[in-house]
Amino acid sequence: MKKNIFILVLLFSFISVMAQNFCVISFQPLFGERKLQLSNAYYQLSSGDSIQFESLKFYISDITFSNKGAFVFKEENSVHLLDASNEKTLHLSVNIPSGLSSDQLNFNIGLDSVINVSGALGSDLDPTKGMYWAWQSGYINFKLEGKSKLCKTRNNEFQFHVGGYLSPFQTIQQVSLKINSTNQINVSIDIEKFITELDLTEINQVMTPGVESVVLSRKLLQLFSVQ
Amino acid sequence: MKRNLILFVMVFLALAAFREEKDLFIVPDGWPKPAYDFSKNPLSSAKIELGRVLFYDPVLSKDNTISCASCHSSYTAFAHVDHSLSHGIANRIGTRNAPALMNLAWHQSFMWDGAINHIDVQALAPISQHDEMDEDIQHVVEKLKNSSTYPALFFKAFQDSAVTGEHLLKSISQFVLTIESYNSKYDSVIRKESKFSLQENNGYKLFQKNCSSCHAEPLFTNLKFENNGLLVDSTLKDTGRMKVTANNTDSLKFKVPTLRNIEFSYPYMHDGRFKHLADVLNHYTGGVQKSKTLSEKLKTPIVLTSNERVDLIAFLLTLTDKSFLFNPKYSFPRNPEAMNDKVKSQK
Repeated sequence: MKKNIFILVLLFSFISVMAQNFCVISFQPLFGERKLQLSNAYYQLSSGDSIQFESLKFYISDITFSNKGAFVFKEENSVHLLDASNEKTLHLSVNIPSGLSSDQLNFNIGLDSVINVSGALGSDLDPTKGMYWAWQSGYINFKLEGKSKLCKTRNNEFQFHVGGYLSPFQTIQQVSLKINSTNQINVSIDIEKFITELDLTEINQVMTPGVESVVLSRKLLQLFSVQ
Repeated sequence: MKRNLILFVMVFLALAAFREEKDLFIVPDGWPKPAYDFSKNPLSSAKIELGRVLFYDPVLSKDNTISCASCHSSYTAFAHVDHSLSHGIANRIGTRNAPALMNLAWHQSFMWDGAINHIDVQALAPISQHDEMDEDIQHVVEKLKNSSTYPALFFKAFQDSAVTGEHLLKSISQFVLTIESYNSKYDSVIRKESKFSLQENNGYKLFQKNCSSCHAEPLFTNLKFENNGLLVDSTLKDTGRMKVTANNTDSLKFKVPTLRNIEFSYPYMHDGRFKHLADVLNHYTGGVQKSKTLSEKLKTPIVLTSNERVDLIAFLLTLTDKSFLFNPKYSFPRNPEAMNDKVKSQK
């Protein structure tokens, strides 16, 4: 009898594993047509000036799938820190039920207010990840840093630390993308679209929650598209 | 029979251990429910001890010279006595007074302007602030990983020797959460274990009439932000809460501090401008500056005769809690092995 139960449990766990599928969501940072590379790669702005990037890090959270406008699946504990300098963080493997029909992927750029008021958290949310503001509690949702001669700053550096969860300066943004597969989804993030919208001579350092952060967070929406 | 006895002893020991862990934090009778959610960071003596060692260890600062305790001394209610503005590494001076620390489990925001929204992340601010420890949490974690003692202390506390930012911060907050003061003369009077003198009693009545709307019992703070009418310091130009909310209606508001152990937590106010309690009373009775955001409670002037001032101060002194100030569980850790590391990490 005991043996039978054991086999039954084994069989059941086997079936439940079989019933699980993975959906791999790969994020590819781009600058226009080119793959975005950090540090020593130079890109040209429409003005003719060059630009280079030192870091690109952002949070993706609350990944959900919907079908014909109706919600069909939600990833549990859905928080991911993506870091362009660490290739493996750009490929998210999401457990989904097998046979899931979905025509739309949804996720947030950034973290919700609950996470922002939950104190010290671990793994991707650990404050040692460089995505937490020490002087005023809250996470940086999106971080882009680099250099361009257009920036009349020290070492021509620009820093965009987009974040803020308190009303009226919330910066979390929801992205919805049409998809035609739930096995592999390739999402491109075109940084050129973000940069060309900005006048780098005027706006090159945004590192606090507030109006500017909110404006920048809205620009992030258009960077994401399915390849 | 023997087996039962063993079982009984085991149950007893388990209960005793549980009981010991339970007394790590106390909600005094009649006090509200703490704001801190202990279920998310359950207290244990090993974690508190780790937090205490970290609290006293200058390894948290960039050049390993100052610790939390440098500006928060247990013998003076964890305030920085006689220093108006906080001090940092390399003789740097900050812009605000290091506040006294106690009963913080009841607070939902921290710092004079409430910029910090959770006690677990509070330590990040002084660690990274240029005029305080000027260090990077990531680097602190590296230093602790390379120390000869900390991995073992982290293992003891978290059953995991890996030093993480989360565990580092949660252990510091555990120690700070256990810093509680509820055994002043005032508390024993409330518990009907002793009585105020006539003077103290008169002072208590004056306090209830004039001060308690902001400095509400039993915490002696309403935990809110108020503009108490201080003249703006032209060198600091500190707008307080408005820096956080970017809202004009928060201009010049600062968090109402507790009055517990106020005898020891001088100098007073967010910039430590007043050295004596008499200066504070002078401010409230004659120095309040009118402005748009002035606290409603201060719009009618407070009037106190000189005798009444003496009585009020007599009452304020009953908020001194000797068992808190000299409690050995808050002082420099008895087993300071971890501290020796600072010498190594400097090399």
